[in-house]
Amino acid sequence: MLKSSRLAAFFAGCLVFLAASWALAFDLEERVIKTRLKNGLTVLMVERDFSPTVSLYIRFRVGAVDEAKGETGAAHFLEHMMFKGTKTIGTKDFAAEEKVLARIEQLGQALDDERKKGNASDEKRIGELSSRLKALQDEHRRFYLPNEIDRLYTQNGGQDMNASTGQDVTTYYVSLPANKLELWARIESDRLRNPVFREFYTERDVIMEERRQRVETSPDGALYEAFMAAAYKVHPYGLPILGLPEDLTFMSPVAIRAIHKKYLAAENIVIAVVGDIDPDKTLSMIDRYFGALPSSPPRPTSISPEPPQDGQRRVNISFDANPSMIIGFHKPNAPSSDDYVFDVLETILARGRTSRLYSKLVLDRQIAQSVSAYNGLPASRYPNLFAIFASPRHPHTGPELEAAILTELDDLKQRPVTDEELARSKRQLKMDYIKSLNSNSKLASTLSYYELLMGDYRYFSNYVAEIDKVSAEDIQRAAATYLNETNRTVAHLVRSQENRQKKAEHE
Amino acid sequence: MNSIRFSTKTIFLLVTALMLAACSWPKALSRTQASPDALAYPPLELKIVEPERIALKNGMALFYLEDRELPLVNLSILVRTGSLFDPEGKEGMADLTAYLLRTGGTEKIASDKLDKLLANLATAPAFSMSLDSASVSFSFLKDDREICFDLLSQMLFAPAFENNKCSLAISLKLEELRRVADNPQRLAFREFNRLLYPDDPRGRYATEASLKKISRDDLVDFHKTFFTPGNMMIALTGDLSREEAVRLVEKYFPRSQQNIKPVAPAPPPVKSGRGVYLVQKTLSQSTVVSGEFVASKSDPDFYAFTVLDFIVGSGGFPSRIFSAVRNNEGLAYSAGSFYRARPDYGVFGTYAFTKTETTLKAIDLIDAILLDVINGSVTQDELAWAKTSILNSFIFSFESPHQIAGRQMLLAYEGMPSDYMKTYRENIHAVTLGDVERVARKYLKNGNRLVLILGDTDRLDPLPDSWGKPIRLSPEE
Repeated sequence: MLKSSRLAAFFAGCLVFLAASWALAFDLEERVIKTRLKNGLTVLMVERDFSPTVSLYIRFRVGAVDEAKGETGAAHFLEHMMFKGTKTIGTKDFAAEEKVLARIEQLGQALDDERKKGNASDEKRIGELSSRLKALQDEHRRFYLPNEIDRLYTQNGGQDMNASTGQDVTTYYVSLPANKLELWARIESDRLRNPVFREFYTERDVIMEERRQRVETSPDGALYEAFMAAAYKVHPYGLPILGLPEDLTFMSPVAIRAIHKKYLAAENIVIAVVGDIDPDKTLSMIDRYFGALPSSPPRPTSISPEPPQDGQRRVNISFDANPSMIIGFHKPNAPSSDDYVFDVLETILARGRTSRLYSKLVLDRQIAQSVSAYNGLPASRYPNLFAIFASPRHPHTGPELEAAILTELDDLKQRPVTDEELARSKRQLKMDYIKSLNSNSKLASTLSYYELLMGDYRYFSNYVAEIDKVSAEDIQRAAATYLNETNRTVAHLVRSQENRQKKAEHE
Repeated sequence: MNSIRFSTKTIFLLVTALMLAACSWPKALSRTQASPDALAYPPLELKIVEPERIALKNGMALFYLEDRELPLVNLSILVRTGSLFDPEGKEGMADLTAYLLRTGGTEKIASDKLDKLLANLATAPAFSMSLDSASVSFSFLKDDREICFDLLSQMLFAPAFENNKCSLAISLKLEELRRVADNPQRLAFREFNRLLYPDDPRGRYATEASLKKISRDDLVDFHKTFFTPGNMMIALTGDLSREEAVRLVEKYFPRSQQNIKPVAPAPPPVKSGRGVYLVQKTLSQSTVVSGEFVASKSDPDFYAFTVLDFIVGSGGFPSRIFSAVRNNEGLAYSAGSFYRARPDYGVFGTYAFTKTETTLKAIDLIDAILLDVINGSVTQDELAWAKTSILNSFIFSFESPHQIAGRQMLLAYEGMPSDYMKTYRENIHAVTLGDVERVARKYLKNGNRLVLILGDTDRLDPLPDSWGKPIRLSPEE
């Protein structure tokens, strides 16, 4: 999903190290206050008082990988439903409302059951059920105050309120005037424990529109989805976060509740608070609102590992758009030492105008319009991919550009990268680090992410030592181990024949 | 962080809970279940921080604010130019000029060497060209400030426009054009802007033909006309003193030559496009954009229109378009309104991305909302919600020193009064229901609007007669 890949892109940019001389400038470990509540929920706080504002992140170690078979899209759907209010937010009379909601769910299920029959379904019954559902939805509006969570945050000055669902993690975030911290605690703790999944069937239509916008009408989205499906045959990383269309069409509230249950394990939650705060008061407020959350142990989903790839996989998708491609290779995830090696390689290959792929393919040979590299696709809880995204420049073709990229990758196996390339790459990663400290929301996002995923935000500072150990030989060895044909997946977007003709006639 | 010093005016505002009435809650509910509207908040200290505006010897205005948290220097420059200065028939010239300043080398340093120098500094200035300005942003370690200023100065004032880099830039731009139609939203908004500004340079976009007419000499001339210190403003913040900031800019930015007159801002567009346009592309989802000219930023109506826009479609979930099109009907994931006010004119518009089958329904819903607000349907509650939201989020305009200095520079560039930020809250606060209705009636006149639908328009039902005859467009033309 685009949302999650943007998120991931951000984190890739933050994989960083802290050089000794700069540690003094902003000693992170000295600034971060880390506390674990009795129930196991982790809280990270950093005081930054330039402006009287605060950025708040709450992350759950629950994502699309935790969905049951046939229910793809449920984690993302849940994220949408979490904006529909609670038993005390968004209702005029919950006792009465609850009864209508139960009838809506019953009717919605009956309607879905009928539709699932496909050609054998009874059109008359569908029509009748639809109009009864519509009437009930209208009745429900009498009890419902829509959009209360957004209204409360916005009216109190909230900024950048949003949420995102990834394969690994789901995140809810907002920035508020510093004095409004309690509003956040009130809303987030309540929607975590007492969410009410209102407007379910309308929201399902909204998510289908989201899918149309991000995948069906977007060449990048469509290519990405096809690429991931080819790269992962067993592990759920190959499935779309937005859900397979067949699963999404008949998504049921039951599936959403099953995912929500996984949120309710305090050990699976990290909160980060960065801004103009009083740490003691903040912590006691968080404890008051979140401390009662049960400390039930996390219920890990049983996920089959992806078996080693035993041959190149190729997929072409046809789309009314100019050609582009993704080339990917399986590799271990963080904190494996090889993951650090790929972080360095990513910058050497495709960061900036002097990087190998950009300088050779865009500047010198002039066969590419764009090229980028990405370590850690699509997420990091399980072994992931190192990937290259590229678009040829007309009249050069996708296959021609692919061959040129593969030649460059082979070169990495033949001879070590230069000292200058290695030093430059490390300096670039260092600069990313410094710049990531420059905003409350970036810092809250980064700290909570590593704490949740690596079990400790200090993965950050340990990263220094690890990245400094990366040598030219490591890169050469990793290239030889992972960047080979049997471990490779290549997806091309090609203009469909029919559209190509149309375009030719036009020109 | 502990040593931030700046000229701070601290204003204590009792920004307490909106609905303060209830500080207690029903006994049946624990405090953590009390109505969120009943929460009581401590007062908030609103610090209005202002950068120092310094007139430099070379004629430039410098906006400076100290920020010692990190060992960084942040710099932004605005240049009085823009793609609206593209000569007719050579559209794309302004954009290419900005791109070549970064990529075409300098008189002293060849482009590939320059790229390497910057890569080793782990930073690079970003040059960009917009409709009515060019901007540069650059952030570097304070210890690298001399070399970074030196390189930036060479790029801005002694660019080489290397021949091969000029032709590469044109080729890349041609490929970019070829790819515009791949992204429906991008194509729709480009075509929308083209139609919105008929017979105006703002509505002219680069084409294959115009790019092929541009020569290196054109870029050299364009640069000479616009990229002079007299046409620039700079915002400089970070880990450096005021004296150091002044010294650096005066050392590396030359004096403007006496005989070069500063560029005057372009006159505003005269009339906006209107009518209904269809762009056929076989897709499962349509992009619908509509818009018209409304109050400018210097118009007293600006504040009432800001509130109106918030209520209509930019105030998030509870705003009218979002809640009607998305929540109630499930017709779109993205739908809403936008209001872009410039000093001398403003553009208000709406958008929705919805499946082919529901395209007309979504447009109908949006039309009905606009008609409703013209007819005075905005309620006191909506007004209160919008105003409180805008006022309460105001402190986010002062989140970081560079944001503050950069915005003050932009306001100066736009010729807005220097107390704009100080009076902004009062002006929003003063907006009444009558004002909102009045500006809705005044600007959202029926029939004034430009509507563009991009998608599988061949499959749409016939459009209502009241919309007039739609015009089919082929974007390649």
